[in-house]
Amino acid sequence: MRDRIHAAAVIARRQIQETLLSPGLYVTLALGLLLGAFLVRGFAASIDSSGFNPQLNPLYDLIARFLGGTFGGAFVGKLFSEGPYLFALLVSFAPVFAYLAIASVFRFGLEKTAGAVELLTYGPADGTAYVLGSFLKDVALALLALLAILVFLAVSAAAGNLVLGPLFFWALPVVFLAALAVCAYGILCSIIASNASSALALFLGVLLLFLLILAGSYSIASAPVRSVSTVAATVIQWISPFFYTAMCFRGLQGGGAGALLGGLGLLLALAAALLAAGHAVISRKGVRA
Amino acid sequence: MSKAAAFLLVLLLALLPLAAASAQVPVRTEQLIYTILAFNGKDYSATFAAENSDAIYLLAGVDSFLSARKALVYFWPTTGEWKTDTDSLNWFFPGTLELWDRAGRARDIPLQKFTYYNVKGEYELNWKVAVGEAVAREFNRYQELYQDYFKSVAAFQKANTEYESSQDALLQKIMKTRQAGGDPSTLLEKMKSMVRPVAPEPPKDYVVPPTPAQEAFILNLPRGEYTIRLKNPDGTVMEGSEKRIVVHERRRTNGIGYEVIPSDKWTRPEQSTTPSSVLHVNGSTDLYLRPFFQDEFADLAYARTVDNAARGNPNIYSWVRTQQVPHASIEVQTPAGPTLLGERLYYVEQTKGSGLGYTIVPFDPQGAHKGKAPNLIAYKVAIGKDTQALRLRALDGNGKPLPGSERQIRVVRAAPPAVLLLSLAGLPLALMALVLSLRERRYSSQAPAREALKSNSF
Repeated sequence: MRDRIHAAAVIARRQIQETLLSPGLYVTLALGLLLGAFLVRGFAASIDSSGFNPQLNPLYDLIARFLGGTFGGAFVGKLFSEGPYLFALLVSFAPVFAYLAIASVFRFGLEKTAGAVELLTYGPADGTAYVLGSFLKDVALALLALLAILVFLAVSAAAGNLVLGPLFFWALPVVFLAALAVCAYGILCSIIASNASSALALFLGVLLLFLLILAGSYSIASAPVRSVSTVAATVIQWISPFFYTAMCFRGLQGGGAGALLGGLGLLLALAAALLAAGHAVISRKGVRA
Repeated sequence: MSKAAAFLLVLLLALLPLAAASAQVPVRTEQLIYTILAFNGKDYSATFAAENSDAIYLLAGVDSFLSARKALVYFWPTTGEWKTDTDSLNWFFPGTLELWDRAGRARDIPLQKFTYYNVKGEYELNWKVAVGEAVAREFNRYQELYQDYFKSVAAFQKANTEYESSQDALLQKIMKTRQAGGDPSTLLEKMKSMVRPVAPEPPKDYVVPPTPAQEAFILNLPRGEYTIRLKNPDGTVMEGSEKRIVVHERRRTNGIGYEVIPSDKWTRPEQSTTPSSVLHVNGSTDLYLRPFFQDEFADLAYARTVDNAARGNPNIYSWVRTQQVPHASIEVQTPAGPTLLGERLYYVEQTKGSGLGYTIVPFDPQGAHKGKAPNLIAYKVAIGKDTQALRLRALDGNGKPLPGSERQIRVVRAAPPAVLLLSLAGLPLALMALVLSLRERRYSSQAPAREALKSNSF
């Protein structure tokens, strides 16, 4: 076990180094921060004598119309009740997170197809160590990206006399754990699928399904759409990281520490369960494409 | 031929707007509907459930009133609402309402006479419901109050007319006495000693008076889902009358919200309802606040309690204002220390001249505003030129802080500098350039060794 963890740590270190030597992470992080900058400045431009008025800024007018039309005015009110930072956090993290998750899935598939993973297993590492190493890489880089975004947003808040707000700080661990659970899904998809492109397609399909179900259950659409979404959600929500993320936010919204901590714990448990499932599959199936 | 074709084309084009105009007339469809008078936490909302409505939403633990009718239903595109044309068709169905809970237990709910009314409280609207015999009693009481009032008004008018006539008669006598060279002082004394009758005050017992008795099925249910259907007096079930009832309740009560009134937009107040919310303002004007109690409801359920055809978010809760906080004060934390704000009366003066605008000034009942009523009763929070942030909370009548009333006001005078944000956003790219150039340099420096290794291997 100790050898496996050591091997996973070495693989993670190596993969982090490789990621830091390629432009993808920097570009997506810069893109995320740029989007955050637009959102923060747009919010400041939307403030008048009575508070936040999205109609004053074209970007926020568009965002408020879209979100209000899809999820309702109450949703928009909650999202921006403490300022722009909760939304800015989600938007800024999205490109980095998407890059990390997709890159991991694709890389695992490619290395599996090329036989690189199999080659590793003839040495001190096994398939599980490789998977664990890949996951640790995602954990470390997601944390790094979140820290960079936190610093950026904190500086922008200080410069504009804005507040990050308690909801923002609580959202950080929620977003981080949700990212881990999604990365764990990516790893499981890579193990199950036979090659990189099918792994990527499977991963994106699963994510899209979870997102659609979440959006459906939160939408203010007509009753039939909501009913279909609710029926689908009752079956699938228990394996969806977005469901537990939403549970955390509901707990935050209602002041219920139980729901928040429960949601965080379940996100962690889901990530662990997915990794365990990945371990079981890779142990039985091996690392050959 | 071509002329005829051109004529037809012109005719067609001329008729096109008429076709569009006729399409704008709403189509009325005859439907079996449930009219709903639902208590929404602060007052009663009248709405209806059309045939295609999937559920009726009611608040738990309070009386709500349902009745089944045949009416014409149409969509009014101007406001985007479904409406009923009850003037053309409004057929009330008698019978019994059969109600099942989720456990399958059924019970019959009979039609009952009811009325609802609102009696005056100190700050609040206090809704009451009278059922059965109490309806006539309450309605009679209301009528008696007004009959007494009208009698008093008639007596006042008579006394006032008599007073005016007596005054006129005395005035005539005084003038005649003066013309005759007599002393009118006795008459003048008499005239002065006459007391003008005082007009009676209208009854203030009711803010909303009781209506004549109406008939409905009165539902007062605990939280849960139920099914209803209408049973005709002959025991048969009315086709299409089955409906789901969703009874919801408040998630949290007695939260504190604020109505925020900037002095330049006093007619368009904003609300700060989320307890942790931050109030961002640009600091151009002072703020006038009004704290209120609020309850938290599921957004969809509440929206559909108020209007059965409304849309709402099923997973979001929203705060709804219920009543003003009585005898409250607001404590503002400033760098100089806490300041206690009291409720004051204000008068809104329109800016004179061609420029539009308002000025809110303290109400002066003895001076400039004599004979006028105040426009605004609120707590003034002054926003100074150097004000950056303020923290405030509401205190109750005993000076105790009200939980959940804490708010922060942030004065955002300008957006964060674009140069700063763009520079920070560009830092990862700068870091990338640095890392890649270092790597390139390191790679180049190792090139001779690699070449040597290659040549040795061959």
